[in-house]
Amino acid sequence: MTRGMLAAWVRTLIVQASWNYDRMVGLGVAYAMEPLLRGLPGGRANDRYAAALKRVAGFFNAHPYLTGMAAGALARVEYDGVAEPQADRLRRALIGPLGSVGDQLIWAGWLPLSVAVGLIVAVVASVPAGVVSFLVLYNVVHLGLRSWGLAAGWRAGIGVAGELAGRMVHAGLRFGAAAAPFSVGVALPLVASWLLREFGGSERLGAAIVGMLGLLLARVLVPTLSGVRLGLLFLGTAVVAGWLWQ
Amino acid sequence: MTDGFWWLLLWGVLAGMDLVTVGQVMVGRPLVAGTVAGLLAGDAAAGAMVGMTLELFALDLLPMGGARYPDYGPAAVAGAATAAGVPGVLGLGPAIFVALAVGYLGEHGVQVVRRANSSDVRRNRAGLDAGDSGCIRRVHLRGMLRDAGRAVVLTLLGLALAAVVRRWLPLSLRGAVLVGTVAVGAALAVAATGALRLSGRGTARAWLAAGVLAGAVWVVTR
Repeated sequence: MTRGMLAAWVRTLIVQASWNYDRMVGLGVAYAMEPLLRGLPGGRANDRYAAALKRVAGFFNAHPYLTGMAAGALARVEYDGVAEPQADRLRRALIGPLGSVGDQLIWAGWLPLSVAVGLIVAVVASVPAGVVSFLVLYNVVHLGLRSWGLAAGWRAGIGVAGELAGRMVHAGLRFGAAAAPFSVGVALPLVASWLLREFGGSERLGAAIVGMLGLLLARVLVPTLSGVRLGLLFLGTAVVAGWLWQ
Repeated sequence: MTDGFWWLLLWGVLAGMDLVTVGQVMVGRPLVAGTVAGLLAGDAAAGAMVGMTLELFALDLLPMGGARYPDYGPAAVAGAATAAGVPGVLGLGPAIFVALAVGYLGEHGVQVVRRANSSDVRRNRAGLDAGDSGCIRRVHLRGMLRDAGRAVVLTLLGLALAAVVRRWLPLSLRGAVLVGTVAVGAALAVAATGALRLSGRGTARAWLAAGVLAGAVWVVTR
């Protein structure tokens, strides 16, 4: 089974390759769990092999780092001989929690926290040091979460929800909810001073005015305006003004 | 042709595929992609400046679920290629302008790939619904090839745009400083908006305020 687990883990790294609007990440999860199913009695000839792939390759969505947990648990129930309707209920029941826990834990917690730490190190030490600290810090948890998820799913099978509701996950969510905004808050003034260090006093004032205008526009006047569009709007205007200001 | 063109192209493709398809180990974050691209283009300082500025733009959005988000990996590569070799901060504004345009195109490119994946899934419905592992593998890996193609096209477009801007953007010294100033101001506005969104209301907002205060004290006392 170890070889199958390793193959499944590697496959979770490309789990979103076929992400689509019809089935979202379903195909990817089926692709990731396939090596685990090969160990069923009779291997690919076992009826449950194709039935499980068919079920999972339908609609499924989850945070990509926790898809291994789904793959492990959904493969395990095939080994445990869980009835197909119950296995399908488990599949559907996993969609919400694996998405929301992963989003809060990683996208709204660990990612902004790691980025902020990387930016702080870049300013205080050097940019290459910031890059390395960001990548190491982020991926220790990222790769650890992928490994833990797959192993926990495989271990728990039908009882996988208990793993997701464990103390470690709750502690991570609580920590991220405080540490992410705090670290981003620390990083912002530091990065601002670093970026403006080569500009003169009037440019610094100008950047502050542009910043306030942008904040007003994005938060109050047009809240649907995305960052990239706001940037293009401001910079497009500045390029034209700079062109005319010869 | 930009110095280190092939390395930049390769790096842009890796950074682009990291966004969704392969690994998501965050080598496509602008801080990483821009800094490495600067090294590859022969101007580490310019790459770092572009990477740090674009990272503030990237703080705007969290890549949740099927959200639409710009592809800042190839964007940072194009930005670093634009700024490389330009003295001081004069290249920063045009570089961020190029990078944002590439990131915006990348956002749409991801949608095109996802729609193509949907069509592929519909064409192969019979095999997928039969639980055919070969069919699942083929459809899945074709999705990865599509994303690789998207990343190649996006990086090539970015490097071409960088070459055009470096050669023909008619900015005076004053104009270049103006665009650079606006780039930093806009980046800070976007990052502040993202931070406010991240913190929501209540306790997390208090943590953000405490962080800003601590950061400001750090700036003043360092």
